[in-house]
Amino acid sequence: MSKMLGASVFQLVLLLCISPLISGIIKTLKARLQTRRGPGIFQPYRDLNKLLRKQMVIPETASWIFAAAPIMVFATSVLVGLLVPMITADAPLSLFGGVLAVIYLLGLGRFFLALGALDAGSSFGGLGSSREMTISALAEPAMMLAIFTVALSASSTNLSEVVRGAIGQSWRFLAPSQMLAFAALFIVLIAETGRIPVDNPATHLELTMIHEAMILEYSGPYLALIEWGAAVKQLILMTLLINIFYPFGLSLQWNAASLAIGCGSYLLKLVILAVLIVLVETTNAKMRLFRVPELLSVAFVLGALALISTFLF
Amino acid sequence: MYFYQDPQFGERMITLMAALVLVLQIAMVGQRWLVTNIRVFAAQSFLLACIANTIAYYNHAPHIYIAAALTLLVKVVFVPILMERLVAKIEIRQEIEPLINVPVSILIAGGLTMVGYVVAESFYHPKEGTSPATLGHNTLAVAISLFLIGFFMMINRRKALTQVLALLSLENGLFLAAISLTYGMPLIVELGVFFDLLVATMVLGILVYRIRETFDSMDVSQLRRLRG
Repeated sequence: MSKMLGASVFQLVLLLCISPLISGIIKTLKARLQTRRGPGIFQPYRDLNKLLRKQMVIPETASWIFAAAPIMVFATSVLVGLLVPMITADAPLSLFGGVLAVIYLLGLGRFFLALGALDAGSSFGGLGSSREMTISALAEPAMMLAIFTVALSASSTNLSEVVRGAIGQSWRFLAPSQMLAFAALFIVLIAETGRIPVDNPATHLELTMIHEAMILEYSGPYLALIEWGAAVKQLILMTLLINIFYPFGLSLQWNAASLAIGCGSYLLKLVILAVLIVLVETTNAKMRLFRVPELLSVAFVLGALALISTFLF
Repeated sequence: MYFYQDPQFGERMITLMAALVLVLQIAMVGQRWLVTNIRVFAAQSFLLACIANTIAYYNHAPHIYIAAALTLLVKVVFVPILMERLVAKIEIRQEIEPLINVPVSILIAGGLTMVGYVVAESFYHPKEGTSPATLGHNTLAVAISLFLIGFFMMINRRKALTQVLALLSLENGLFLAAISLTYGMPLIVELGVFFDLLVATMVLGILVYRIRETFDSMDVSQLRRLRG
């Protein structure tokens, strides 16, 4: 029991500390690739620190939902973070839920964010919510199919079991089903974290923004909570991607040496994935909103093919 | 014995490349730009040549190397250059306008892949063990899917040039089926097929150019109109 508590606290701290860093790394790398100097990799920490100490402006029309939304976004993200194996194969709260809990807790957070955006009463909020919901409705089945592909070969939807199963088979990540599922989940990651072919995280142009449109009315600590929650969510999705498909170096025991190896390899894999995301973001132009379903239907078909090919190959 | 001499490893690589070929075929269905489409076709053919090489290596069938080299020469280098020149010459609009919109096309392509798998399943009778003879048996499913999706692309597209492209990717499926099932047809047959393909591409290229000259469009649905 105390071990579970310790593991939870450890992972919680890790989750909250690393997530802004990863956002910072992505931003800096992107700036460098565009031959700008860009902010330092610790800029998100400074932003969060500043936002947390600022005064809030709350719209007159807002009800309690406006205040509940940031807390729900943050809480669901953190809770999901404890369900996903990060540096040990055992997630602290893996007894309480598996893949389905992960997907739908994230869905709950998104639902509250959309409600909060509507509650603020500005037209941008409604616009952002409707776009976000459209995209997530299309991304969700693709994500389910991709994760079920992996869950199928472990015959469990519990993420710790899935990861343990994956460690056993050394060449498994070369199997076509795994590659297809990885590609599908990668597209979902891009869509869910609002990265460039789908959404531009650095824009406030009303024609194109999705995530930014929803949080336009938020300020101060609420904005900090949402931004932090979004960073944690991004970290969770990246963790899912690297640990399910490439579980190298995950520690299976609780001792200092294997934890250190786990930490090191986890960070290395995260940075590699971040570089991949940055490359995708710099080499692509943002899609028109009506083209986004095409991209997500590709993800869906890839996920479906992955699932079929586990039965046949 | 090195790890790459293990037939298991070869099997894995072939399966992986076959899956990538399939993904590229679906990418071709979803792709809107003509030039990108031609390049995706070139990449697909390159992977095909790699598969042929791998099969040749593990089955000690040197004549497949020649087929692979021909694939590389004709389908990866010659045909794409020819088609890109044609595109530049006739100055058509770059965008492909499929009859069915892209998301539905992609879903149909996914469905056709499933049909391909179901059909291939009936051909597959698991034999004793994993002797090198069973190498790449599961590429048959991919080959049939390539074939079906190629047919679908031909139906789905209006412009003559994109239909030629679809025909070529369909032929890729045939080639894949031939090398994965029989470990290569006799060399003379392969040579015949390649020259056939080359001539077909050139003739079709000229034909496309003429259609464009006569009708001011490559839309084949306009070919119904008679002109004296």
